[in-house]
Amino acid sequence: MALPAHISATAAGATSRQPVYALVGNPNCGKSTLFNALTGLKQKVGNYPGVTVEKKVGTAYSQHGQPITVIDLPGTYSLAARSPDEAVTRDVLLGRRADTAQPDRILCIVDATNLERNLYLVHQILDLGRPVILVLNMMDLATRAGLEIRVDHLEKLLGIPVIACEALHQRGLIELKLAMSRADLPLARHAWTVPAAIAPAVSEIAAALVEGDRKSPLVARAEALLLLTDQDSVRVAGSTPLSPRTTEILRAWQSRWTQEGTDWAGTLVSSRYDVIGALAAEVVQLRTEVGPSVSDKIDAIATHALWGWLVLGGVMTLLFFSIFTLAESPMNWIDGHVASLSDTIKAVMPPGDLRDLITDGAIGGVGGVLVFLPQILILFFFIGLLESTGYMARAAFIMDRLMSRVGLNGKSFIPMLSSYACAIPGIMATRTIEDPKDRLVTILVAPLMSCSARLPVYLLMIAALVPGERVPVFTKVGIMLFMYALGTAGAFFFAWLFKRTLLKGEPPLMIMELPPYRLPGFKDVAFHMLERAWIFVRRAGTVILGISIILWFLSAYPKAPAGATPTAQLAQSFAGRAGHAIEPLIKPIGFDWQIGIGLISSFAAREVFVSTMGVVFNAESSAENTAPLRTALLSAKWPDGRILFTPLVCFTLMIFYVFAMQCMSTIAVVKRETNGWKWPIFQTLYMTGTAWVLSFIVYQGGRAFGF
Amino acid sequence: MSPMIQTCIALVLVVFAVAGLIMRAFAKKKSFGCGDDCACSSRTLKTKSPS
Repeated sequence: MALPAHISATAAGATSRQPVYALVGNPNCGKSTLFNALTGLKQKVGNYPGVTVEKKVGTAYSQHGQPITVIDLPGTYSLAARSPDEAVTRDVLLGRRADTAQPDRILCIVDATNLERNLYLVHQILDLGRPVILVLNMMDLATRAGLEIRVDHLEKLLGIPVIACEALHQRGLIELKLAMSRADLPLARHAWTVPAAIAPAVSEIAAALVEGDRKSPLVARAEALLLLTDQDSVRVAGSTPLSPRTTEILRAWQSRWTQEGTDWAGTLVSSRYDVIGALAAEVVQLRTEVGPSVSDKIDAIATHALWGWLVLGGVMTLLFFSIFTLAESPMNWIDGHVASLSDTIKAVMPPGDLRDLITDGAIGGVGGVLVFLPQILILFFFIGLLESTGYMARAAFIMDRLMSRVGLNGKSFIPMLSSYACAIPGIMATRTIEDPKDRLVTILVAPLMSCSARLPVYLLMIAALVPGERVPVFTKVGIMLFMYALGTAGAFFFAWLFKRTLLKGEPPLMIMELPPYRLPGFKDVAFHMLERAWIFVRRAGTVILGISIILWFLSAYPKAPAGATPTAQLAQSFAGRAGHAIEPLIKPIGFDWQIGIGLISSFAAREVFVSTMGVVFNAESSAENTAPLRTALLSAKWPDGRILFTPLVCFTLMIFYVFAMQCMSTIAVVKRETNGWKWPIFQTLYMTGTAWVLSFIVYQGGRAFGF
Repeated sequence: MSPMIQTCIALVLVVFAVAGLIMRAFAKKKSFGCGDDCACSSRTLKTKSPS
């Protein structure tokens, strides 16, 4: 596939390998949806900005079956990067990344309902001198909004292929693939005259970039324009510093303009907007005046100062109500089958270590976690619905009012909302936050949001706390809501504290686009729900199975003298000794050494607590019939005969898990995102310390009040 | 199956579990994100050839 001469000259080997397209556009304009449509992949999509924070690579196939590499890049409004995710896009396009060759061609996707605003990035990308295909996405929404876009005229004005498309409905893809297959993809003829006051500086800096920084002439011009508008404060891996000569020229011009009182950056930006405004006026016409859209009408309530909170509360209540009611039957079904499998093995195998390992270790541990699968499915179904419809962005908008009081903004709330599913994607989503201090504060508090791994712990404790079948489901929903609210309040409190002590800074202004509401993409929602279910099952079958087997060994060895009770055996085992060793530390918060074993093992991952309880209390049981874990917990006692899992202990244990940092994967990701061990160690200490202190206050306070 | 054989097999399984977890812990360093345990997507995605 032939490429223009200057591309072949600059991108070594470009002609010999398959063409590489970079997929770029503003946040939430449908890049990942188009990426999935082109490649047949299932990259995560969502109706809110900031879903993609790293580049993703896939392969599309032309109409003739030729492979084409497509790189999906994080959304950005401009090449002047303000956050780490935007810097990824800038650096890939400018060929600054050592791990990624500069793309040969660019697929620039724009939201047709906001063409003028989206054209700013397009305009900057045309400066790069690469072959560009412009994709007008969401044409259906533009038509519904009464807009008429003269696609052919835009194509003539820009001189590049312009494809009208609806990526969500896979419309326009054939035309797009045909354009992508073209060997003679033209370069843009859209000329932009740099303002006279700035033009000499652009030429001089570009020349220095060619000589001193070994940039190709076209990239050098684009880089020079960027350097004059971008403070380039965000440094990411792969970025290379400028040569001293270029830096010197840049500084000299900036200092000269400062003395003259010239706003060079403003002049460049407004000059671009003048050109874009004229272009948009020629190609976009408002055919019909449309009144407030459905989204506007819904937002009048969903983002209202009072009703907005009620809607948010209602959504959360509905979520937890569904978790408790809809999941009950499938949970009982799984519980029954796990117990029956265990009983069958006990019936057919003679007593011995292998039988105990299978029934008490593997089935007790893995089965105890698997029983929560229906509730995990419901949680992710709801999260998927909220993401797909666009309500997530509204939740961030509502929370912004609260978050600004603690020194953060709604942009930090998107990572925190993601952390309800899992802290790891939440922490990665902080890459959309511009200010490094705000980003660090968000990373430090995101794991306080109750993730899905805490759900099995909460559910087990709620089952033990309010075991009666006659207890209204709203009591359970209320306790669950309280735990989620407590984690969120804790995150806000610590964000406030860190912003006033360790990481002082001005509260940032939030600028976030509220996307129009869309009908949920049930296919995507179902896919990601099943994907999460598979991850949960796979984790149960690998990590939790492994830990359960090891825990069985640690609780079965060394062997007690013949005739010892199961409790005595557990007490003198390796696990029992470890539990006893930390008992002085946890006794003041109401936990005994058996719970201590769970606390130690769940440092690997929180849900391991449930499997550990399964192993520990199955090992203690001498019965031939396996009892459900909830029943086993309720019959557990202190040596003096007192009930171990009293309502107060169950409640305290939940409080502990709300705050304790018990997830090795999260610690590893925080280490990577902060480039060191300092912050993950600090985070583990402050979270686990807070968990202990609050558990102590709750337990001792509860006892003082007679609970 | 005699108790002695059961004990031997159980201990071998325990050794396998320990080895598996250790290998997994080291392998994770090469992976992107959490090692695909939490659904954050891997950096490079594989695509099937067109049918």
